Amino acid sequence: MSVPAAMADSVVERASPLLRVAALTKRYGDQPALTAVSFDVHAGEVLGLIGPNGAGKTTLLEALAGLIPVEAGELMWCGAPTPIAERRGVMFYLPDGLRPWEDEIVQRVLTFFAAVHGRSQHEVADAVGSVGLAPVLRKRVHALSKGFARRLMLALALLTPQPLLLMDEPFDGFDLRQTRDVMGLIRRVALSGRTLVLAIHQLADAERVCDRFVLLADGAVRGAGTLDELRTQTRLAAASLEDVFLALT
Amino acid sequence: MRSPDVIAVRRTPLRPLLVKELRSIVNGRALWTMLLIMCPIVGFSFFQALSLYGEASASASDQAALASGLSPLDGILVPTFGAFYVTVTLLFPFVAIRALGREKETGTLRLLVQLPYRTPTLMMAKAAAVAGAWLIALIPAASALVLWRMLGGHLHAIETLNLLLGHLLYGLLIGAVALVAAAITESTATAAIVTLAITIGSWILDFALAGQPGLAEWVSRLSLTQTLRPFEQGLFSLGLVLGSLVAIVGFAELATLWLHPGVPLRARLVRSLACAAITSALVLLAAQVRTTIDVTEDRRNSFPAADQRALATLREPLIITVHLAPEDPRYVDLRRNVLSKLERVMPNVTIRLVANQSFIGRSGDYGEVEYSYAGRIDKSRSTSHREILPLLYGLAQVPLPTAVSGEDYSGYPLVANAALVLPWFFGVLPLLIALAWWSSRRAPSIPLPICQGGES
Repeated sequence: MSVPAAMADSVVERASPLLRVAALTKRYGDQPALTAVSFDVHAGEVLGLIGPNGAGKTTLLEALAGLIPVEAGELMWCGAPTPIAERRGVMFYLPDGLRPWEDEIVQRVLTFFAAVHGRSQHEVADAVGSVGLAPVLRKRVHALSKGFARRLMLALALLTPQPLLLMDEPFDGFDLRQTRDVMGLIRRVALSGRTLVLAIHQLADAERVCDRFVLLADGAVRGAGTLDELRTQTRLAAASLEDVFLALT
Repeated sequence: MRSPDVIAVRRTPLRPLLVKELRSIVNGRALWTMLLIMCPIVGFSFFQALSLYGEASASASDQAALASGLSPLDGILVPTFGAFYVTVTLLFPFVAIRALGREKETGTLRLLVQLPYRTPTLMMAKAAAVAGAWLIALIPAASALVLWRMLGGHLHAIETLNLLLGHLLYGLLIGAVALVAAAITESTATAAIVTLAITIGSWILDFALAGQPGLAEWVSRLSLTQTLRPFEQGLFSLGLVLGSLVAIVGFAELATLWLHPGVPLRARLVRSLACAAITSALVLLAAQVRTTIDVTEDRRNSFPAADQRALATLREPLIITVHLAPEDPRYVDLRRNVLSKLERVMPNVTIRLVANQSFIGRSGDYGEVEYSYAGRIDKSRSTSHREILPLLYGLAQVPLPTAVSGEDYSGYPLVANAALVLPWFFGVLPLLIALAWWSSRRAPSIPLPICQGGES
């Protein structure tokens, strides 16, 4: 594809986002967790939700997935309102630090997910190979190390068919080399046509893997766009994501 | 626009979910621990029942009248399943809570509700797994029945199945209550406390309020334990079965309403109130179904066969006015020996209880029972059908029916050798259960393509 054609496609995609989040508001008692959060997610991109601990990243992902009730706000999928009951058809959320069905054997968790989503044994094998789960297939989930538990979650995500993946802190628990591998995997997933929204608190990781960013602080959006757009917004040419984030928050 | 979710839900197979739910119960220690505890409790109860039945049978060996009183339902089944009932009440909640509580506690519920299943389908799978766990829990008691047959004991198929149905309904009720508790509370420990408060509270209702007049008597009927009573007496009560099924479905629906974490609290509360109201109304409606069948082989809940046939032909309304306090033992006798049987056999019976506590000792009518049929009235103080039925035939102006010979229950006396019972329940069966537990913990073999993919 030529560059002008790609740019034209990009303009079309920007004009009609895959997911539009409008004025999402969530409170825990008197404490605001999300304040009128609005942003767009475009098809095929890797979008990073960036913010420090307590910024509202996890709350935002759970609200998007319909796993917590919100006070106000709307989600539009391809321009149409998406009620909670329909969201699991279009997006899949991977919580942080979860060991799914921890008394079960890893292989059984994978084959359960595969059977539910109509995946073949070869597709399971591909997922296992992609994340390097082979050494622990016969182990129980509760016996996995933090890194392997994270890989299991990634493998489950690969087996799901939803076009949008929401991942909370996908690099937590991985060392440097493993983080690079997972980044490569995420890029391959995006290239295959799926869209990813990643909640990340490590700005350096986010800068390396994400196409665009939504900067969150205290439950509010402080900026959104590509790194270049954010640099323009903050008038910090050649600044790192960290510099941009500090300037906007 | 057609929802993508609806498309996915329609295509998703149910089997993997059912297998996963059953495995999640089998993977836990609760089921196996309950089974291991059940073995000696059920086994000792069966052993004692066998010994007492044997003693009674020995003394009845040459007396037909005594032998006719020996029914395996009373002598063996009810005591053995009584032990099963105690363990189900106290331990089964821990097994049932696990079906949902662990996923909620560990956060895995957030994955589960994103799978392409409707929330009621998820809960139905969990309820099915709880029913499966109950079937597994039945193994010690079922093995007692097999031993009883091997020892030469008699089992009447219908009364045995009826008793099992009662225990199944009771187990499912306990399971459904446990699922509601697990859905509403945040931890398995709290869910267990809530469930045990309800099950043990039922016992307290039974002990403290049963037999009391007025509101206390009505409240005591809310006890879950009441579900079992008619089945233990050899009665199949259609109203009770329907009411129990409605309550089980109602509890499961209530648990469903609390399953998805994305529903606002206010919406959950409103829907729960509506669910409770509809369930209560349906249970009350089911309670109006009076069809009750005596399924016992000895027909203990019925009059003699000739009387049954004669009474069934009396189509006019029979009004019985009882001048007794409900807690009076004479009323209890009258109710059990006559009134309940009349209600079951005659198509139109009305019973009026006109006495209360302040009435006792101050009225000369106290103790009298007035029978009104076809405009004719008679009175009696008897609580025996032998006096009352002739009185009714007189009121109806029909001849006394002739007793039919050969219809009497002869009983099933048996002096069994119980030597094998204790080793089975205290040794062999626990060992087999432990082996099954160990086997369930073994990792399965991995299909070749997955191995190859994993190693590439």
